Amino acid sequence: MISRRDLLKAAGATVAGAAATSEAAGVVRDDSERRNFNTGEHQPSLPLEALTADEADLLTAIATRLIPADALGPGAVEAGAIAYLDRALAGALAPQRDAYRRGLAALERYARSSRGRPFRELATVDQDSLLIDVETGSATGSGAGFDGSSAAFFAMLKGHIWQGTFGDPFYGGNRGYIGWDLLGYPGVRTVVTADDQRLGAVPTPLRRSAYDGDLFHKATASTAPSRPGSHGDDA
Amino acid sequence: MWRYLLAVGWILATSVTPALAQAPAVLTVTSPTLKAGETIPRDYTADGRNVSPPLQWSGAPAGTREFAVICDDPDVPMPQPFVHWVIYKIPGTATGLPENIPFDAATPMPAAVAGAVQGTSGFRRPMYRGPAPPPGKPHHYHFKVYAIDAVLDLRPGLTKAELLEAIKGHVIGEGELVAIYERKPAG
Repeated sequence: MISRRDLLKAAGATVAGAAATSEAAGVVRDDSERRNFNTGEHQPSLPLEALTADEADLLTAIATRLIPADALGPGAVEAGAIAYLDRALAGALAPQRDAYRRGLAALERYARSSRGRPFRELATVDQDSLLIDVETGSATGSGAGFDGSSAAFFAMLKGHIWQGTFGDPFYGGNRGYIGWDLLGYPGVRTVVTADDQRLGAVPTPLRRSAYDGDLFHKATASTAPSRPGSHGDDA
Repeated sequence: MWRYLLAVGWILATSVTPALAQAPAVLTVTSPTLKAGETIPRDYTADGRNVSPPLQWSGAPAGTREFAVICDDPDVPMPQPFVHWVIYKIPGTATGLPENIPFDAATPMPAAVAGAVQGTSGFRRPMYRGPAPPPGKPHHYHFKVYAIDAVLDLRPGLTKAELLEAIKGHVIGEGELVAIYERKPAG
């Protein structure tokens, strides 16, 4: 039986590999302080653009519990969900940057006040219990200082972790199609054969972003204004 | 007049006596850590570790086959009490629940209550979630224990209402422990 530790070690290797790929593609622009926030160790990785290292570490610990690496495969962290969120907060999600700053600080205060330790130092069962309290809104009146309901912060966070895990890799998450493999989603198919339509057929993963095909265009998806026939991909 | 009172007395005697004969026995519910009428320790609330408290009971009738426990809070501003815990199919041999019943269905129940399953609380989760009241006043938390005279085929995840409907006619003992909790307004 593979232990959780072994799985996480393997995941670390995956992350390092993915980072190297990104570097080759010219994504990495700064060699300074390359802290690998997925493992807490100093290894080649992507520099942070919006989050602090502490916030990224905390988000990593949270995402590890939301979609863990387990017998089903790698999880949200290995899929690059934190890197996705970091870049999104430096770009399209910039208006939510402060909500993350305040929400993560409140969650950390709640961990210390309710369980006596920083979130990352809690046993996984206590991390899960705490996240349930945040999700259900039980942490709201705890004095930790959540803005409004803790449930609203959790819903925002969960939505973005889901995006970073299961979204099209074009947007910076779902590294190595980890999220799609987890779901058994093969990717956008423009041709479906008779064999694909057999009862019980398992579709072959295409391992292609929707924007790798002719149907969508990266320039359209990223910055260009909406135009007829673009399928609303500007959004 | 006397004839009228006698008639009323006869009606009451013949109609109420059978009901009284079937009234559930009174269970005594206690806890090593929860004291009736006193503040619930933090560890059993959302301000602490939020684990389930230990409970003990006695006085169950001889025909008890299973127990069920419901914890709710009637002090919420809602028509019905807010449900914090639903747990049932507790073996009839049990004399209580140990602390920290697992909230993960994959984790086995403690041996003394093997077979117990949890229902859906007001948090829409099949697990204990303790007091997390809005600040303003003390809330009363009722830990109510039911002795049941049959082994009922109950699926996990029942709500309080579903459970009470399912055990209707089978409750031969009842008792409760009421403790309080209050959150102070943020200063």
